[in-house]
Parts: sequence; C-alpha cells; structure tokens
Amino acid sequence: MRSRDGNNYRSLAICSVILFYSLSVHASEYLISYRYVLKDLVLYNESLQISRAMQKCQGSLSQSLILNTLGKKNFKQIINNNAQKFIDFIHENGMHVEHKSQTKNFKNTSVTILTLKTTCFKVDFNENLVRITSLN
Amino acid sequence: MKNKYLPFMLVGFSVLTFSGCIPAQGYIAKEPYKSVNRMPVLPCSQKCNTLMPAQSMQGCTPCSPVTLKVTLPKNTPILQRDKTMKVLVVGQGVSPMNTISPAQAYALAKRAAVADAYRLIAEKIKGVYVEGEDYIQDMMVKKSTVRTSVQAMVKNANIVETNFKEGLCEVEMEITIAHSQFAQ
Repeated sequence: MRSRDGNNYRSLAICSVILFYSLSVHASEYLISYRYVLKDLVLYNESLQISRAMQKCQGSLSQSLILNTLGKKNFKQIINNNAQKFIDFIHENGMHVEHKSQTKNFKNTSVTILTLKTTCFKVDFNENLVRITSLN
Repeated sequence: MKNKYLPFMLVGFSVLTFSGCIPAQGYIAKEPYKSVNRMPVLPCSQKCNTLMPAQSMQGCTPCSPVTLKVTLPKNTPILQRDKTMKVLVVGQGVSPMNTISPAQAYALAKRAAVADAYRLIAEKIKGVYVEGEDYIQDMMVKKSTVRTSVQAMVKNANIVETNFKEGLCEVEMEITIAHSQFAQ
C-alpha cells in the first residue's frame, strides 16, 4: 500500500544508504614495503615505503589491524601516529630474514637485513577507526 | 777443404744426438700407445663401500643408499607428526651511541633485538651455511676467516619478554612450528 506522503520509505532507504556509505565505506588499497638493516647488532638503516595502489590488488584477505585515526584522514599520518603497532603487525605478517656474518682473525662483524617485500594492504576508513588488512 | 771441417761436423752431430734433439732409432715406439687401466679389480660388495665410477659398476647389482648415522644429544626436542613444537630464543640489541633520549635508545635497541631474535629463529629452524678458510704460511696461521649466512621467511613469532639494561636490550621470542609446515 502506498503511503500518504508518496515514496517516503524508498527515499528514506536511499538516504540511509548514502549516509552509510559516506560515513563508513571508504576503502582503498596501499602498497607497503618495509626494510631495516642491523650492523653489529645496532640499527643502521630503516625505511618504510607507502604508496597508493594504482590498480586493483589480487589475493585473499588475511590478518587485519585496527588503528585509531585520531581525526586524521591521511593514511601516512595515521601510520606515523601508530608506528609501533603497525610495525609489530608487519612483523606478525612475516618478514624475510637475511643474515651474513664474518669472523676475520677472530674479530666478528655481522649484517642482518629484515624485509617485508612490497605487499598490498586493503585499508577501510571508518569515522574514527581504520582497518588495515593484508592481501596475500 | 772437406777434411778440415769433418771433425767439427762429427763432434756437432754427436752432441746433438746425445742431447736428444735428434731421436735415435731405438726410442721410436713401433706399436701405438695403449692406455693401461690401473683401477683395482674389486668384488661388487667392496665397490659399494668405495666411491667407484659408474663404468666400473657394470655387472653389479645397484648399491643400497648410504645412510649416515647422526647421534643427537639426550633430551633434544624433535618435531614429530601431528604435534607442534615451541622454539624459544633470546635476541640481543644495542642502542646506538648518538641517541637524543633514553626512549629513543630503548626503541632502537629493541628493534635490533627483535631482528636478532628473528635471525636466531631462522638459524635454529632452517640451519646455517658456514664457510671457513685458513691461510697457513711457514706452519703459522696468517689469516683465518669464517663466514656464515642464513636466509629465511619468519611468520607469527611472538615477543614473550623484553629487558633493557645499560644500553643492551634482550627480547625473548617464541614461535610455534608444526610438522605440516615443513612437509613437502
């Protein structure tokens, strides 16, 4: 039965869908790589590269991390504010270890390199939270 | 004229003959050279125990594969089917000299310790490639070099405990491994 004020329910449904999408669904994909080098057990060099994916990533969703945005909308700024959490998450995801040591005339030197190869992450922005999920 | 140079010619010819520049008739082999097989003739059972070339193994039944017996120390944990095993390591890291605050020193030392723990896990599970070289001259070691390397992918390792004292950070880390992860 049609309501007295026309298509009220339908317009309400459309408005609610628009509101929901504008608030919650703002998903995008980012390519992230991370690498750090240890020389003789001292941190020598560290680099974290983040860039927006220019084409859709393939793969299945795996572990995810939820971070507080603290009012920020830039993904890099959000990562900077929660750097330690994000790096722990990367470590859990898996790191490639490469270690070389040399003992020359009983004097030891070593180099250890930990690398996260360029991996695609799906990033869902909500109002105050951001969900980061790795695609493997 | 001919008689004058004849003794010199004779002496020169004899010198060349004895020096080997002109081969004497007796040295030329009349028969073509035949290679002699100096491989000892062994029974098949003994051939299996030695590293013999494949040609010499003709006519013998194939040898059974050589098995090496490795004796492990007592109470050595062994990864068994349908069971998991925890590997526990302690990684160490040192804070750099030029840090601006104790917090930064702690953070950097911890990161180094985590990386060291990852390296130890990789070494324990995957093994280490070791290469050694000693240069000895006049019965003395002049140069001694040992190189080790490891490459692995480490996933799902957890930090159990962290200690930081006097610039040295120690991170205790554990990883649970299953037999199925290594089955091929």
